Amino acid sequence: MSIPTVVPFAADMSVHLGPLRLEHPLINASGTMDIFELAETLGADILRHPPVAAYVPKTVTLRPRAGNPPPRILETVGGMINAIGLSSEGLQAFVAGQLPGLLALPCPLILSIGGFALQEYVALATGLRQALDASSPRWIDRIGLEVNISCPNVHSGCASIGSEPGETNEVVAAVREVWPGLLVAKLTPNVTDIRIIAQAAVAGGADVIAAVNTFKGLVIDRETLKPYLGNVVGGLSGPAIKPLALRAVYELFAAVEVPIIGMGGVASMQDVLDFMACGARVVAVGCAGLTDPWRADSLASGLSQALATRGMGLDELVGVAHSYAI
Amino acid sequence: MSLRVPNGAEALCNHTPHHVPAGRQLGRVRTNAPLGSLVWLTVDVPGWRSAKPGQFALLQSEPSRCFLARALSVADEVGERVSFLIAPVGEGTRELCELAPGAGVWVLGPLGNGFDTEHIGGSGGFPATCAPTSSSSRGRLLIVAGGVGMAPFPLLLSRVGDHAAVASSGGAPAETSACRLSEVVVLLGFRDAPQAQGAAKVVEAISRLREAGVSCRFALAVEDGSNGPAERVTDLLARELLPGDRLFVCGPAAMAASVWRTSCLVADVRTWFSLEAGMACGVGSCHGCALTLADGSMARVCHDGPVFAGESVFGLLTAAAHPADGGEEKS
Repeated sequence: MSIPTVVPFAADMSVHLGPLRLEHPLINASGTMDIFELAETLGADILRHPPVAAYVPKTVTLRPRAGNPPPRILETVGGMINAIGLSSEGLQAFVAGQLPGLLALPCPLILSIGGFALQEYVALATGLRQALDASSPRWIDRIGLEVNISCPNVHSGCASIGSEPGETNEVVAAVREVWPGLLVAKLTPNVTDIRIIAQAAVAGGADVIAAVNTFKGLVIDRETLKPYLGNVVGGLSGPAIKPLALRAVYELFAAVEVPIIGMGGVASMQDVLDFMACGARVVAVGCAGLTDPWRADSLASGLSQALATRGMGLDELVGVAHSYAI
Repeated sequence: MSLRVPNGAEALCNHTPHHVPAGRQLGRVRTNAPLGSLVWLTVDVPGWRSAKPGQFALLQSEPSRCFLARALSVADEVGERVSFLIAPVGEGTRELCELAPGAGVWVLGPLGNGFDTEHIGGSGGFPATCAPTSSSSRGRLLIVAGGVGMAPFPLLLSRVGDHAAVASSGGAPAETSACRLSEVVVLLGFRDAPQAQGAAKVVEAISRLREAGVSCRFALAVEDGSNGPAERVTDLLARELLPGDRLFVCGPAAMAASVWRTSCLVADVRTWFSLEAGMACGVGSCHGCALTLADGSMARVCHDGPVFAGESVFGLLTAAAHPADGGEEKS
C-alpha cells in the first residue's frame, strides 16, 4: 500500500465553524461519500488521511429505513437526479456500529439527522449526545450536528418541515435545547424564499446554514414514457444546478449573520471560488465526489494555489462578490 | 462567449491532490478493436490490482461530456493491461467506444464481488456449500450470456484454465478430486450477426481453455436467424441443462429471468447472476444502484453484487409453481 504524500498548503487554509477547526474549507455533502465503504474497496489510507476537512456521514434516521424503490438514480445533462429516500440503518445501529469508527477519524465530524416529526429530531439529537457524552468529554470541539430538513425524496417530514419557516424554527429550537454542540441547518432550495427559512433556523438557534440540498426534478423513461424513478420525483444535483445554488448562497450571505456551508454542483476549483465569493465559508462537494472521492482534497490544493496566485487570503475571498453589488 | 459543457474531471487535471490517493487512475487506451457492433477496449491502468472474474470498473473518458462514469465488467487482464467489452448504447459508452489509442480514461476498480471461482479446477469449481449433488452431471459449469453480457467470461474462462493447469501439475489437494470440474459449457445468445461478432474473444478464451486440458463445449444462438435457426440462448439452455449443473449468467434482465425459470425446472441446479443497474459511485456510498431482493430487502448492486445467487434475486420457485419457460419474453 502506498504511503500518502502530504503536500503542504502555500498558506494557512484553516477555517472555523464554531468550535470546529477545519484544516481547509472543503468537505463532503451528506450522503455522497461513505468513507468506510471507500476504505473497504480502496484501502485504509483514506481513514488516516480523509479527503475532506470535516466528514459528514449519510443522514441517520431514528428507525431503520430501506429507502425508495429502484430505480433511484439517472444521469442528466450536467449532473444527475436521485431519489434514494433516506435509506438508513437507524440510530441504534448507527451508534453501535458506525460511531466508534467515525470518532477514530482524524478530522472533525458533522453528523446528519433526518426525521418525519419534531420528536424524531429531538430523539436523534438526544441519542447522539448521550453516546458522545459517554465516549469523550471534549467531543464538542470536533463534532457538529446537521439537521437535515431538506431531503426532497420522502413524502412527509424533512423537506416539508424545511419548507415552512414556523416548523423550521420549532424543530431547530427543539434540537438546540438538547444539543450543546455546533448546530447546522441544511436547507432545501425548493421554497419561495430561502432567506426566510434561514432566518427562522437562525432564530431557532442554528449556528450555521448549509445550502442547498437538491432541486426537485423528474425524468421520463425514454422507452415507456413514464416517470423513470421509483419515487417518481427526485433531487437534481451536479454542475447543472450551480448557478441556482450560487444565487441562494449569495442571498443567504446578506440575510443571515452565521457562517454558510455552500454547495450545489461543486466540481471544479472555479466553483469553489464562486461559492466562497458569494459568501460560503465552507464548501461541500456532492455528487462530483461520487466518481472521484478525492475531489474535495484536490480542490483544497487548487484553492490554495489560486489564493496564492491572486495574493488573497481566505477571509478576503468569503463574500467578496457582494462588494461589487449595486 | 464560448459554450462549455460541464465536465467535473477538469478539476483533477490541473491540481495535485493534497494526499496522493489510491483510487481512480488515469489510464491510457492501448487498443480499440471493433468486434461487429461491440468494441474491445484495452487500457493501460497504472496500479491496477488483479480482478476476480465478474468484478467491474467505473470508466469515464477524459475529457467527457458525461457527468458519471460507466460500470463495465472486466473482460480480461494481463498485469496492468485491462480489457473491456463495450456496447455503444448511450452517450457514455459511445464516448468510450470512440477512444483512440493514447486517449485518457479514468478507471476506478476492480469493484464488486465477482463470481466465486476460488476452487475452480481444484475442487470441482465450486465452494463446498454448492458442491454438485447429482452424479449424472457432476461438476458441470454452464456459462449463459446474452449480448454484451458475455463481457465477464473471457477472464473467467482464462482463470478456469489457470486453475486447471495448477491442478494437473499436482497443485490440487487429493481429497477434493472427487468433485472435479468435468466440463464447461458456454452458451451465448445474440440479437443479430453484428453483435455476435463480439463472441470472438470468448471463442479465443475457450480455445486456450481446451489447450489447458479442460473439456469445453460452445453453442451460439442468434435471434435473427443469421446463424442457423432463429432462437434464443434460453432455447439452448433448455436443451442442455442437466441436474446438478452450476450456472454463471450475465445478460439482459428478461433473459436472466427466463434463465432462472428454466433452471427451476431441473433438479439441483444452482445459478449466479451478474446484474446491472445505473450506478454513480460504484463502491456502496450512494445507495443509488439499489435492487429489491426476493425477500423484500434492498441490496446495492455495486457493493453486494454485481453477482447474486439466483434464489436471492428471484425467490425460490418450484417447477409446479411456475409454468415452463414460454415464448412471451420480449428481450
